[in-house]
Amino acid sequence: MEASDLTGHISKRFNKDIEDLRSMVLAMGGLVESQLLRAITAIVTGDSELGLKVANDDYKVNDLEVSIDEECGRILAMRAPAASDLRLIVAIIKTITDLERIGDEAEKIGFLASRLAAMDRPPDSYRELKTLGTHVSHMVRDAMNAFARLDVDEAFEVVREDEGVDEEYETIQRQCITFMMEDPRSIKRVMNVTWAARSLERIGDHAKNICEYVIYMVQGRDVRHTGISDASEIPSD
Amino acid sequence: MLLFLAAGALIGWFYGQLLWGLLAAALLALAWQVRQLLSFDRALRTDNFDDFRIGEGIWEQIYSKFRFERDRGLRQKAVNRQLLREIRNSTDAMPDGAVVLDANNEIVACNRAAKGLAGLKRKKDRGQRIDNILRDPKLIGLINSNDHQQSVEIPSPITDGDWLNCRVVPYGAEQKLLLLRDVTERIRLSKMRRDFVANASHELRSPLTVISGYLDALSDAGDLPADWVKPVTQMRNQSLRMKHILTEMLELSQLEGAGSASRNENIDVVQLLNDVRIDFDRPADAAEIKVNAESSATILGRKAEIESVVVNLLSNALRYTPQSGEINLTWRSSSDGAELIVKDTGEGIDPEHIPRLTERFFRVDRGRSRGEGGIGLGLAIVKHVLVRHDAELEIKSEPGSGSEFRCVFPPDRVKVATPTALS
Repeated sequence: MEASDLTGHISKRFNKDIEDLRSMVLAMGGLVESQLLRAITAIVTGDSELGLKVANDDYKVNDLEVSIDEECGRILAMRAPAASDLRLIVAIIKTITDLERIGDEAEKIGFLASRLAAMDRPPDSYRELKTLGTHVSHMVRDAMNAFARLDVDEAFEVVREDEGVDEEYETIQRQCITFMMEDPRSIKRVMNVTWAARSLERIGDHAKNICEYVIYMVQGRDVRHTGISDASEIPSD
Repeated sequence: MLLFLAAGALIGWFYGQLLWGLLAAALLALAWQVRQLLSFDRALRTDNFDDFRIGEGIWEQIYSKFRFERDRGLRQKAVNRQLLREIRNSTDAMPDGAVVLDANNEIVACNRAAKGLAGLKRKKDRGQRIDNILRDPKLIGLINSNDHQQSVEIPSPITDGDWLNCRVVPYGAEQKLLLLRDVTERIRLSKMRRDFVANASHELRSPLTVISGYLDALSDAGDLPADWVKPVTQMRNQSLRMKHILTEMLELSQLEGAGSASRNENIDVVQLLNDVRIDFDRPADAAEIKVNAESSATILGRKAEIESVVVNLLSNALRYTPQSGEINLTWRSSSDGAELIVKDTGEGIDPEHIPRLTERFFRVDRGRSRGEGGIGLGLAIVKHVLVRHDAELEIKSEPGSGSEFRCVFPPDRVKVATPTALS
């Protein structure tokens, strides 16, 4: 399915509705991406004000989710779409839920950043969180790019990358446990780091989900819970 | 042709059938013309003129005219293709990214730099809306707004830590050009400058504290020789002044680095004005200060910063207003925002100086204001605080009759609350 397939309708209005809807989803994605980037910056640079700002801005993501949901309902009711259009709407309804959750996790990271900024900082200034955060934000970005370009290959790429994120999360967790055992006074701080890492790992999972919806939208097959090796064996044309 | 018909008529007349001869000749001529027409048509369609017999008369003319136009068209096409290739090569050589957008913000074309800077894919992204690919909320806002003077800086979608400056330039009918420029280096430099100022002020403060501490001790000690009293007092005053400058420079560099101010605090402006008026440390012969509370609205922002705006504006006003004068602090709000006005009846400012007032270390009268404690950073701080609160500073002044400093806050920073909200 090419982008032009989505615009091949007799009714121009329907075309425009669908294109606008797609743009809204991607705008929401952009907002979530920037929230995530700012949250990571806040935690890495110890900027409590930025962290709080991220937390306060989460309402924008929620507002967008509600209005996109409404628009989807309206299109379903008025146009009764079929085939690829129906898949698009179904995929969008699911995608925005995951985007909203990513927004929530970014909000949490923002809060944690403001809390961590008040505590003493380790000499590496949370390098491992930065690495994980960069990795995860790339996944979100690539997931949204795959959504925009209906690019199944890129979507598979992101799904595959999630394993790397899970491993990195494991490492951070183990490292945090070591810190807490070495110095029980740091438990409070390190617990916050663990929460932040946990949030980032969850964001990776949500990005993966979005890519699975993209595959569903383009190819019409459900690759959830099938294991990546099975899914990618079928040629992705 | 006429000759041919005449020959036909002659043969017909010879046999006594003039009209029949004429008709036969005309039919033959017609058949030949039709054949010629068909073969010309076939030659046109197959683009192969080898089999086409040009013949004479009108056909020769048509054919030569056609050949001429066709060759000219081909030459023109080659020239155009060459031109297009050169234009494309030159836009590809441009270091800045350029994306051509149509009325629906769909990508029509982009150059190589746009590919490198923003990760656009030339073929695949044609027809895609630009805000589907570059999704930063600030850029979406810029594209949708019709303000083509502004530019925004967004994090690069390709390289972490890089920044892109984006501008939208409209052209032609409904078309737009999105220009992207890599400003990573500029942002890094300005951050370095800010950090330098902050670090330098910070480092200078500690030795200065020692110096002013000893000077304090010296001047407080009663046994200072008489001819040392004046130098020590002056040194002490100057070291205090220096400390003050460093504090303000530090404050300014912090304000510059920070983005938009958070909206966490709900500032009761009327109370703030009254507090500042009462607490303000002013000489006994200062002008009278009045507070006009025309509104009970509050500002969402940072209280300490708004307070420093009021203090700075008020101390400026006091400095230039004689004792007989009057200073008015006014707070009023309406549906399109709120205004904090500091108006004095002092000596006023020359119109030529007004645009430069908020520059760092700018003084209208260098000799004069240094003696009276002005540093030249106050209005710069005011301006930066207001920018951080999305507000604007408007300055009106008339030499001789006074000045008016007006801080205009946008409606979304103003909360029209009941006065009991903050007690």
